[in-house]
Amino acid sequence: MAVIEVEGLRKEYRSRRGRTLAVDGLDLVVPEGGVFAFLGPNGAGKTTTIRCLLGLVRPTAGRCRLLGAETPKDLSTVIRRVGSIVETPTFFPRFSGRLNLELLGRLHGIGRKAVGDVLERVGLADRADYLVKTYSLGMRQRLGIGAALLKDPEVLILDEPANGLDPAGIKEVRELLRRLGSEGRTIFVSSHILTEVQHTADRVAILSRGKSVASGPVGEVLAAGRSAGLIVRVDDMAGGLEALRSAGISASPDDHAIRVMLPPEEAATVTRTLADRGLYLTELRPDEVDLETVFLELTRESPKEPSP
Amino acid sequence: MTALLAGELRRMWSRHLVRIVIGLALLGIAITGVIVAVRSSPEVGADPRFPLTMLPDILKGTSIPLIIAGWLLGASFIGADWRVGTITTLLTWEPRRTRVIVAKVVACSVFVFALAIAVQAVLGGILGLDAAFRGTTEGVDATWLRETSGVAVRAATLASVASVIGFAVASIGRNTAAALGAGFAYLAVIENLVRGLRPGWQRWLFTDNAAVFITGGDVSFTFERTMLQALVLLAAYAAALFAVGVVMFRARDVN
Repeated sequence: MAVIEVEGLRKEYRSRRGRTLAVDGLDLVVPEGGVFAFLGPNGAGKTTTIRCLLGLVRPTAGRCRLLGAETPKDLSTVIRRVGSIVETPTFFPRFSGRLNLELLGRLHGIGRKAVGDVLERVGLADRADYLVKTYSLGMRQRLGIGAALLKDPEVLILDEPANGLDPAGIKEVRELLRRLGSEGRTIFVSSHILTEVQHTADRVAILSRGKSVASGPVGEVLAAGRSAGLIVRVDDMAGGLEALRSAGISASPDDHAIRVMLPPEEAATVTRTLADRGLYLTELRPDEVDLETVFLELTRESPKEPSP
Repeated sequence: MTALLAGELRRMWSRHLVRIVIGLALLGIAITGVIVAVRSSPEVGADPRFPLTMLPDILKGTSIPLIIAGWLLGASFIGADWRVGTITTLLTWEPRRTRVIVAKVVACSVFVFALAIAVQAVLGGILGLDAAFRGTTEGVDATWLRETSGVAVRAATLASVASVIGFAVASIGRNTAAALGAGFAYLAVIENLVRGLRPGWQRWLFTDNAAVFITGGDVSFTFERTMLQALVLLAAYAAALFAVGVVMFRARDVN
């Protein structure tokens, strides 16, 4: 079952300076369970998409469904099962963190004990009774995550949850996401910081200029993003390159090494070819493609400029 | 809805501006109490002796600052939500926007009404002490009490109506300053223009109807209107503006 479905979503903002196309015909399906990373550079349309999903922004065209309910029309029927953070969470500054959560919790019959547990979980128990206006950005972000978890939701929609957090906080968020995903919840997390999600996400969608340029399981997106290859190092780089090319193997210099355009399972061909010429390997490894490389390639190559 | 309303009332009470308004009101009441006590002579037959029977007229006078305070509190209540961005957090918990805005306006208007009653009660209490110890309570009877309570309730009602109008205008403009600017422009420019250029339209002006309502029609106007008619008209203005605010709140993007 799809937890989030977005079909042909288009959002155009109008202002005195003209029109800005924030989302341009986006299609997206987020299956149940696991962590789904929604990636894209700043201004790609991630937050606008999330705002459309949460009924905060009206789409110009297209439709969004959350847990099977049309948003914004039927959102209220499922909102109890959805926790969210949109950008930097905002709370009443003259209330304590605890009171802010208690007031929100009461809207859905959530008691004080659950609030206390959540504050403990996000590491705010000792500052829970301080006014929010005294909180740092990181503490507000933690409170936002606490608010999102308060409903014990099936779906968590988190827009840049690590914003303002220090490295330790980012690591905690990453671990929290992994844990929540493994509990059977669906975590939809947007980010432009790839290290935040690379080792956490099961599936990914990459957004560029309002459009999805890649989507699917992380492995598939990585595989599709760049052709497989091998990194080879020999003492005689020029000789090694020449030997491979003369054997009909596509190879090119790559940062004091040779990149060979063969899949890792054909590594034996490379060792044999080089050994036949008396060249012995000092290094042979698969050319691993990381999400950052794929992300940069996909978002750089996206051809369309947003409408003025 | 009850939880939403309770939360909004709690928030209204904790507002910094509310504390300032209460502080200023108490300061004003204290100064008034001292001035009246000093100027009033306790001796029978002396002049001037402060008579408590003046209280209804004093309350009529205090209705003006109460209306202004109501307007300000209403406008800033929703204006602060837009400025700080708390409306976004709230809507991710309660996406039914009509419910949200209705709860806010109800909380705001009820709070302003209660505050206005409380301020007048404190003022009445202080002046009552002045009258008891340094003035006179002659003429204070059930009729006086009924008249005084009537004025106090009407002044609080007007402050409440003003808070709804301020709230509605700030909702439309999405900030407090828009509502304050619109209020100033209306009172200082539009009403004066209407009085000068279209005297026949005076019957539709806010301040004229507010004066009819608060005085119970005691003041002479060029038009005839009962207290109830004036209230209905003012409530209709508030309701119409609030309806526009609701429509816009439902339709707009929350960024």
